[in-house]
Amino acid sequence: MSFAARFRQGMKAAIPIWIAFVPSSIAWGIAAQDHGLSLAEVVLMSAWVYSGPAQFAVLGPLAEGKSALQVLIAGFLMNLRFLPMSTALAPFFRGVKRSQLLLASHVISASSFIVPYVQFQKERAPTGADSARAPDLDGYGRLAFFLGVGVTSFLVWVTGTASGFLAAFGFPPGFEEALKFILPGYFAGLLVVEMKGWAMPLICFGSLVAALPGAVVSPGWGWLVTAIVVATLGCGIEEWKLRGSR
Amino acid sequence: MEITRFQIIFIIGLMAFAVRALPQLFFVGERFPEAWDRWLRYLSYGFICSIISVTLFMAGGRIETAAAPRRAIALALAIVVAYRTKSAVTGMLSGAVLVLILARLL
Repeated sequence: MSFAARFRQGMKAAIPIWIAFVPSSIAWGIAAQDHGLSLAEVVLMSAWVYSGPAQFAVLGPLAEGKSALQVLIAGFLMNLRFLPMSTALAPFFRGVKRSQLLLASHVISASSFIVPYVQFQKERAPTGADSARAPDLDGYGRLAFFLGVGVTSFLVWVTGTASGFLAAFGFPPGFEEALKFILPGYFAGLLVVEMKGWAMPLICFGSLVAALPGAVVSPGWGWLVTAIVVATLGCGIEEWKLRGSR
Repeated sequence: MEITRFQIIFIIGLMAFAVRALPQLFFVGERFPEAWDRWLRYLSYGFICSIISVTLFMAGGRIETAAAPRRAIALALAIVVAYRTKSAVTGMLSGAVLVLILARLL
C-alpha cells in the first residue's frame, strides 16, 4: 500500500479522536483565555507542547505567576507518559530515517499512541507471535498510518484551541462539566475497547484507583509512581503465571 | 533574570519533545523481548488511567469531593457503553451527557 493510502487509512482511524478533540480543545482555549493567556501563547502551547492534560495542569500555575521551576516540573511530569509510549512505538518504524522520526514524534499523544499501536499489533502478529519473531513489515507504511492519525489530530487540537480562545462563548451552567469529562472519558473508552486478557483491565483499574491517594500525597509525581508500581506488579504477576503454565 | 511566560511554554514544549523524540532516536527498529514490550504497553496504559483519574477527580492537589461521585458514575457508564458498543466515542458521549444531567440535577 502506498504512503498516501496508508496516511488516508490513518486519517480515517483518527476521526473518533477528532470528535473527542474538538470540544476538549475548545474548552482549553476558553480556559486559557479565562486565565489571561494571549492568543500567541495559546497557539504556541497547543502546537509546541501538544498535550491536553499537561496544558490543563500548567494553566493555573502559569496564570498565577507561580515559580517557573514549579510550572516546568508540573509540565515535565505530566509529559513523562510519552516516554514509554514513544519507546513502544519505535520498534514498528524499522528502516525509517531518524530525522523523519524526530519530526514525526512531535505528534505522539495518548490517542495517537493507542490507535496506531493497536493497529500495528494487529498487523504484526495474526498468530500472537512476540516481537522477536514478528515479520518485517514496512516501517514507512506504519509511519504513514501514524502520521495520518497524529498530524490530523494535532491540527484539530491546535485549530480547536485557537477557535475556543477567539470565540470564547459562554457555555450554559454545568456545560463545562461535560467538557471536562470528554477527554478523559474518551481515553477510558479507547482503553476499554482494546482490552484483552485479565492483566490489562486489572492494571488499568489499579492505576485509576491508586492515582488518587498517590496524587494526594504528591500532586506532582505521586500518580506517576503509583502507575509504575501497578503496571510493574501486574506485568510481573502475568509473567509469573505465564512461566508457571509453560 | 526573570523568565517570561512565553519562555516557560517554550521550555515545557522542549522537554515534551525530548521525551517523545529520544526513544525514536535510540530504539527505532529495535526488537524488545516480549516481557519488556508488555511492560511498556502496561506502563503506557497505567499512565493514561492515572491521568484520567487525576484530571477527572482532582483539582489543585485535592479530590473534588462534590463533583467526584457524578463523574465516577459517568465514567462507569462511559466504560460500560464503550465496552458494549466497541466504540470509544459512543462511550464518551454517553458519559458526557450523563455528567451534564447529573450536574444540573444534583
